[in-house]
Amino acid sequence: MTGRCGVVVGHGRVAEGLLSALERVAGEQPNLWAVSNQGRGGDELEAEITSLLDERCEGREAYLLSDMDGGSCGQVCRRLLAKGLVQAVFFGVNLPLLVEFAFLPEQPFEQFVTAAVEKSRKALGAHR
Amino acid sequence: MSVLLFRVDERLIHGQVVVGWARRLRPRRIIVVNDELADDALEQSIYRTGIPEGIRADFWTEREAREQLPAAIASEEPMFVLTADLGSMARLTRDGVRIGEINVGGIHRSEGRRRVLPYVSLDAADERLIDELEREGVRVVARDVPTAAPVRLAERTRG
Repeated sequence: MTGRCGVVVGHGRVAEGLLSALERVAGEQPNLWAVSNQGRGGDELEAEITSLLDERCEGREAYLLSDMDGGSCGQVCRRLLAKGLVQAVFFGVNLPLLVEFAFLPEQPFEQFVTAAVEKSRKALGAHR
Repeated sequence: MSVLLFRVDERLIHGQVVVGWARRLRPRRIIVVNDELADDALEQSIYRTGIPEGIRADFWTEREAREQLPAAIASEEPMFVLTADLGSMARLTRDGVRIGEINVGGIHRSEGRRRVLPYVSLDAADERLIDELEREGVRVVARDVPTAAPVRLAERTRG
Protein backbone atom coordinates (compact mmCIF):
# COMPACT_ATOMS: atom_id res chain seq x y z
CA MET A 1 0.00 0.00 0.00
CA THR A 2 1.30 3.41 -0.94
CA GLY A 3 2.31 5.89 1.68
CA ARG A 4 0.60 8.63 -0.29
CA CYS A 5 -2.94 9.89 -0.01
CA GLY A 6 -4.86 12.71 -1.59
CA VAL A 7 -8.03 14.72 -1.64
CA VAL A 8 -9.40 15.99 -4.94
CA VAL A 9 -11.10 19.31 -4.39
CA GLY A 10 -13.28 20.91 -7.02
CA HIS A 11 -16.31 22.88 -8.08
CA GLY A 12 -19.65 21.17 -8.64
CA ARG A 13 -19.21 17.46 -9.18
CA VAL A 14 -15.84 17.57 -10.93
CA ALA A 15 -13.90 15.96 -8.06
CA GLU A 16 -16.25 13.00 -7.57
CA GLY A 17 -16.56 12.71 -11.35
CA LEU A 18 -12.80 12.54 -11.88
CA LEU A 19 -12.40 10.06 -9.07
CA SER A 20 -15.18 7.90 -10.44
CA ALA A 21 -13.53 8.04 -13.88
CA LEU A 22 -10.21 6.98 -12.35
CA GLU A 23 -11.92 4.08 -10.60
CA ARG A 24 -13.54 3.00 -13.87
CA VAL A 25 -10.14 2.64 -15.55
CA ALA A 26 -7.91 1.75 -12.64
CA GLY A 27 -10.12 0.13 -10.01
CA GLU A 28 -10.91 1.23 -6.47
CA GLN A 29 -8.79 3.96 -4.96
CA PRO A 30 -8.50 3.52 -1.22
CA ASN A 31 -6.12 6.49 -0.86
CA LEU A 32 -8.04 9.18 -2.70
CA TRP A 33 -11.18 11.08 -1.76
CA ALA A 34 -13.28 13.74 -3.43
CA VAL A 35 -14.67 16.92 -1.92
CA SER A 36 -16.85 19.58 -3.51
CA ASN A 37 -17.22 23.21 -2.57
CA GLN A 38 -20.86 23.14 -3.57
CA GLY A 39 -22.99 24.84 -0.92
CA ARG A 40 -20.00 25.34 1.36
CA GLY A 41 -18.12 28.40 2.41
CA GLY A 42 -14.34 28.46 2.54
CA ASP A 43 -14.15 27.72 6.29
CA GLU A 44 -16.52 24.80 6.02
CA LEU A 45 -14.61 23.34 3.08
CA GLU A 46 -11.35 23.76 4.94
CA ALA A 47 -12.79 21.99 7.99
CA GLU A 48 -14.07 19.10 5.92
CA ILE A 49 -10.73 18.55 4.19
CA THR A 50 -8.90 18.86 7.49
CA SER A 51 -11.02 16.22 9.17
CA LEU A 52 -10.66 13.89 6.16
CA LEU A 53 -6.89 14.23 6.35
CA ASP A 54 -6.91 13.69 10.12
CA GLU A 55 -9.09 10.62 9.97
CA ARG A 56 -7.71 8.84 6.95
CA CYS A 57 -4.31 10.21 6.05
CA GLU A 58 -2.52 10.29 9.35
CA GLY A 59 1.15 9.42 9.19
CA ARG A 60 1.21 9.43 5.41
CA GLU A 61 2.23 11.92 2.74
CA ALA A 62 -0.89 13.96 2.11
CA TYR A 63 -1.64 15.93 -1.04
CA LEU A 64 -4.45 18.07 -2.36
CA LEU A 65 -5.46 18.18 -6.00
CA SER A 66 -7.56 21.21 -6.88
CA ASP A 67 -9.44 21.79 -10.11
CA MET A 68 -8.27 25.35 -10.73
CA ASP A 69 -5.55 27.45 -9.22
CA GLY A 70 -6.88 30.70 -7.81
CA GLY A 71 -10.48 29.49 -7.59
CA SER A 72 -12.15 29.14 -4.20
CA CYS A 73 -11.16 25.47 -3.95
CA GLY A 74 -7.60 26.33 -4.88
CA GLN A 75 -7.52 29.06 -2.25
CA VAL A 76 -8.62 26.71 0.50
CA CYS A 77 -5.98 24.23 -0.64
CA ARG A 78 -3.29 26.89 -0.48
CA ARG A 79 -4.30 27.76 3.08
CA LEU A 80 -4.02 24.13 4.10
CA LEU A 81 -0.59 23.95 2.48
CA ALA A 82 0.45 27.06 4.41
CA LYS A 83 -0.69 25.37 7.61
CA GLY A 84 1.55 22.45 6.81
CA LEU A 85 -1.26 19.92 6.57
CA VAL A 86 -0.21 18.69 3.16
CA GLN A 87 3.02 18.22 1.22
CA ALA A 88 1.86 19.94 -1.95
CA VAL A 89 -1.19 21.17 -3.81
CA PHE A 90 -1.53 20.06 -7.41
CA PHE A 91 -3.78 22.34 -9.42
CA GLY A 92 -5.61 21.95 -12.72
CA VAL A 93 -6.19 18.31 -11.89
CA ASN A 94 -7.13 16.11 -14.81
CA LEU A 95 -7.59 12.40 -15.25
CA PRO A 96 -3.99 11.80 -16.41
CA LEU A 97 -2.70 13.54 -13.25
CA LEU A 98 -4.85 11.29 -11.09
CA VAL A 99 -3.48 8.27 -12.93
CA GLU A 100 0.06 9.38 -12.17
CA PHE A 101 -0.85 10.13 -8.59
CA ALA A 102 -2.26 6.65 -8.15
CA PHE A 103 0.48 4.76 -9.93
CA LEU A 104 3.82 6.54 -9.73
CA PRO A 105 6.10 4.47 -7.51
CA GLU A 106 7.14 5.78 -4.13
CA GLN A 107 10.01 8.19 -4.55
CA PRO A 108 11.38 11.35 -2.96
CA PHE A 109 8.79 14.12 -2.70
CA GLU A 110 10.34 16.60 -5.18
CA GLN A 111 10.87 13.93 -7.76
CA PHE A 112 7.32 12.65 -7.39
CA VAL A 113 5.71 16.07 -7.74
CA THR A 114 7.80 16.98 -10.78
CA ALA A 115 7.16 13.66 -12.51
CA ALA A 116 3.42 13.77 -11.87
CA VAL A 117 3.09 17.32 -13.23
CA GLU A 118 5.28 16.72 -16.28
CA LYS A 119 3.53 13.54 -17.28
CA SER A 120 0.04 14.91 -16.91
CA ARG A 121 0.94 18.17 -18.63
CA LYS A 122 2.08 16.14 -21.63
CA ALA A 123 -1.37 14.61 -21.73
CA LEU A 124 -3.02 17.96 -22.50
CA GLY A 125 -3.13 19.16 -26.09
CA ALA A 126 -5.15 19.20 -29.27
CA HIS A 127 -5.31 17.03 -32.37
CA ARG A 128 -5.77 19.10 -35.51
CA MET B 1 4.65 -16.89 -19.12
CA SER B 2 5.18 -14.05 -21.52
CA VAL B 3 1.51 -13.34 -22.13
CA LEU B 4 0.40 -11.55 -19.00
CA LEU B 5 -3.17 -11.14 -20.16
CA PHE B 6 -5.35 -12.61 -22.88
CA ARG B 7 -8.28 -10.21 -22.92
CA VAL B 8 -11.56 -10.04 -24.75
CA ASP B 9 -12.86 -6.50 -24.85
CA GLU B 10 -14.87 -4.78 -27.58
CA ARG B 11 -13.05 -1.54 -26.85
CA LEU B 12 -9.65 -3.22 -27.37
CA ILE B 13 -7.06 -0.67 -26.23
CA HIS B 14 -8.65 1.76 -23.77
CA GLY B 15 -8.30 3.15 -20.27
CA GLN B 16 -8.87 -0.04 -18.30
CA VAL B 17 -6.26 -1.83 -20.39
CA VAL B 18 -3.53 0.82 -20.53
CA VAL B 19 -4.07 2.13 -17.02
CA GLY B 20 -5.74 -0.47 -14.83
CA TRP B 21 -4.00 -3.56 -16.20
CA ALA B 22 -0.85 -2.22 -17.84
CA ARG B 23 0.23 -0.12 -14.88
CA ARG B 24 0.08 -3.22 -12.71
CA LEU B 25 1.32 -5.95 -15.01
CA ARG B 26 3.81 -3.85 -17.02
CA PRO B 27 3.66 -5.37 -20.48
CA ARG B 28 6.15 -4.17 -23.10
CA ARG B 29 3.98 -5.13 -26.01
CA ILE B 30 0.28 -5.21 -26.85
CA ILE B 31 -0.84 -7.38 -29.72
CA VAL B 32 -4.33 -6.69 -31.01
CA VAL B 33 -5.79 -9.45 -33.14
CA ASN B 34 -8.59 -8.00 -35.24
CA ASP B 35 -9.04 -8.34 -38.99
CA GLU B 36 -10.78 -4.99 -39.49
CA LEU B 37 -8.34 -2.96 -37.43
CA ALA B 38 -5.32 -4.61 -39.05
CA ASP B 39 -6.46 -2.98 -42.28
CA ASP B 40 -7.37 0.46 -40.94
CA ALA B 41 -4.49 2.89 -40.48
CA LEU B 42 -6.65 5.71 -39.07
CA GLU B 43 -8.23 3.53 -36.41
CA GLN B 44 -4.81 2.15 -35.51
CA SER B 45 -3.42 5.65 -35.03
CA ILE B 46 -6.35 6.51 -32.77
CA TYR B 47 -5.72 3.44 -30.64
CA ARG B 48 -1.98 4.13 -30.56
CA THR B 49 -2.63 7.51 -28.94
CA GLY B 50 -3.57 5.73 -25.74
CA ILE B 51 -0.53 3.50 -25.53
CA PRO B 52 1.95 4.56 -22.85
CA GLU B 53 5.63 5.10 -23.55
CA GLY B 54 7.63 1.93 -23.43
CA ILE B 55 4.88 -0.28 -24.84
CA ARG B 56 4.73 -1.14 -28.50
CA ALA B 57 1.58 -2.22 -30.23
CA ASP B 58 0.89 -4.49 -33.17
CA PHE B 59 -2.37 -4.90 -35.03
CA TRP B 60 -2.58 -8.31 -36.61
CA THR B 61 -5.14 -10.15 -38.66
CA GLU B 62 -6.15 -13.53 -37.32
CA ARG B 63 -4.04 -15.08 -40.02
CA GLU B 64 -0.98 -13.05 -39.01
CA ALA B 65 -1.61 -14.02 -35.41
CA ARG B 66 -1.75 -17.68 -36.40
CA GLU B 67 1.62 -17.33 -38.12
CA GLN B 68 3.43 -14.98 -35.77
CA LEU B 69 1.98 -15.31 -32.30
CA PRO B 70 3.75 -18.52 -31.32
CA ALA B 71 7.16 -16.93 -32.01
CA ALA B 72 6.15 -13.71 -30.24
CA ILE B 73 5.11 -15.69 -27.18
CA ALA B 74 8.31 -17.73 -27.29
CA SER B 75 10.32 -14.49 -27.18
CA GLU B 76 9.32 -14.16 -23.50
CA GLU B 77 8.55 -10.47 -23.96
CA PRO B 78 5.83 -9.58 -21.46
CA MET B 79 2.72 -8.82 -23.49
CA PHE B 80 -1.05 -8.51 -23.63
CA VAL B 81 -3.06 -10.16 -26.40
CA LEU B 82 -6.38 -8.49 -27.12
CA THR B 83 -9.36 -9.47 -29.22
CA ALA B 84 -12.76 -7.81 -29.54
CA ASP B 85 -14.79 -11.00 -29.19
CA LEU B 86 -14.67 -14.45 -27.68
CA GLY B 87 -14.73 -16.21 -31.04
CA SER B 88 -11.43 -14.66 -32.15
CA MET B 89 -9.77 -15.62 -28.88
CA ALA B 90 -11.15 -19.13 -29.06
CA ARG B 91 -9.75 -19.52 -32.59
CA LEU B 92 -6.28 -18.70 -31.24
CA THR B 93 -6.53 -21.63 -28.87
CA ARG B 94 -7.63 -23.83 -31.79
CA ASP B 95 -4.53 -22.65 -33.62
CA GLY B 96 -2.33 -24.02 -30.91
CA VAL B 97 -1.81 -20.98 -28.68
CA ARG B 98 -1.91 -22.21 -25.10
CA ILE B 99 -4.19 -20.07 -22.99
CA GLY B 100 -4.74 -20.82 -19.31
CA GLU B 101 -7.19 -18.00 -18.69
CA ILE B 102 -9.14 -15.58 -20.82
CA ASN B 103 -9.92 -12.27 -19.19
CA VAL B 104 -13.24 -10.82 -20.32
CA GLY B 105 -13.25 -7.07 -19.94
CA GLY B 106 -16.19 -5.90 -21.98
CA ILE B 107 -18.82 -7.43 -24.24
CA HIS B 108 -21.60 -4.94 -24.35
CA ARG B 109 -25.29 -5.21 -24.91
CA SER B 110 -26.69 -5.81 -28.33
CA GLU B 111 -29.59 -7.60 -29.95
CA GLY B 112 -29.79 -11.19 -28.78
CA ARG B 113 -27.35 -10.80 -25.91
CA ARG B 114 -28.31 -11.43 -22.32
CA ARG B 115 -26.72 -9.24 -19.67
CA VAL B 116 -24.81 -11.29 -17.10
CA LEU B 117 -22.72 -8.48 -15.61
CA PRO B 118 -22.85 -4.72 -16.11
CA TYR B 119 -20.01 -5.01 -18.62
CA VAL B 120 -20.66 -8.47 -20.05
CA SER B 121 -23.61 -9.56 -22.19
CA LEU B 122 -23.59 -12.96 -23.86
CA ASP B 123 -25.49 -14.55 -26.71
CA ALA B 124 -26.09 -18.27 -27.15
CA ALA B 125 -22.93 -18.69 -29.25
CA ASP B 126 -20.80 -16.97 -26.58
CA GLU B 127 -22.25 -19.24 -23.92
CA ARG B 128 -21.51 -22.37 -25.95
CA LEU B 129 -17.96 -21.14 -26.53
CA ILE B 130 -17.41 -20.49 -22.84
CA ASP B 131 -18.59 -23.98 -21.93
CA GLU B 132 -16.38 -25.51 -24.63
CA LEU B 133 -13.34 -23.52 -23.57
CA GLU B 134 -13.83 -24.48 -19.94
CA ARG B 135 -14.11 -28.16 -20.91
CA GLU B 136 -10.79 -27.75 -22.72
CA GLY B 137 -9.22 -26.37 -19.58
CA VAL B 138 -9.35 -22.65 -20.41
CA ARG B 139 -10.80 -20.55 -17.58
CA VAL B 140 -13.00 -17.73 -18.84
CA VAL B 141 -13.06 -15.03 -16.19
CA ALA B 142 -14.77 -11.64 -16.30
CA ARG B 143 -12.85 -8.88 -14.57
CA ASP B 144 -12.86 -5.35 -15.96
CA VAL B 145 -10.12 -3.95 -13.72
CA PRO B 146 -7.63 -5.74 -11.45
CA THR B 147 -9.31 -4.59 -8.25
CA ALA B 148 -12.67 -6.07 -9.28
CA ALA B 149 -13.76 -9.49 -8.08
CA PRO B 150 -13.20 -12.12 -10.79
CA VAL B 151 -16.34 -13.87 -12.05
CA ARG B 152 -16.08 -17.30 -13.68
CA LEU B 153 -18.45 -16.88 -16.63
CA ALA B 154 -19.27 -20.59 -16.91
CA GLU B 155 -21.27 -20.13 -13.71
CA ARG B 156 -23.42 -17.56 -15.49
CA THR B 157 -24.19 -19.50 -18.67
CA ARG B 158 -27.28 -21.63 -19.08
CA GLY B 159 -25.22 -24.65 -20.17
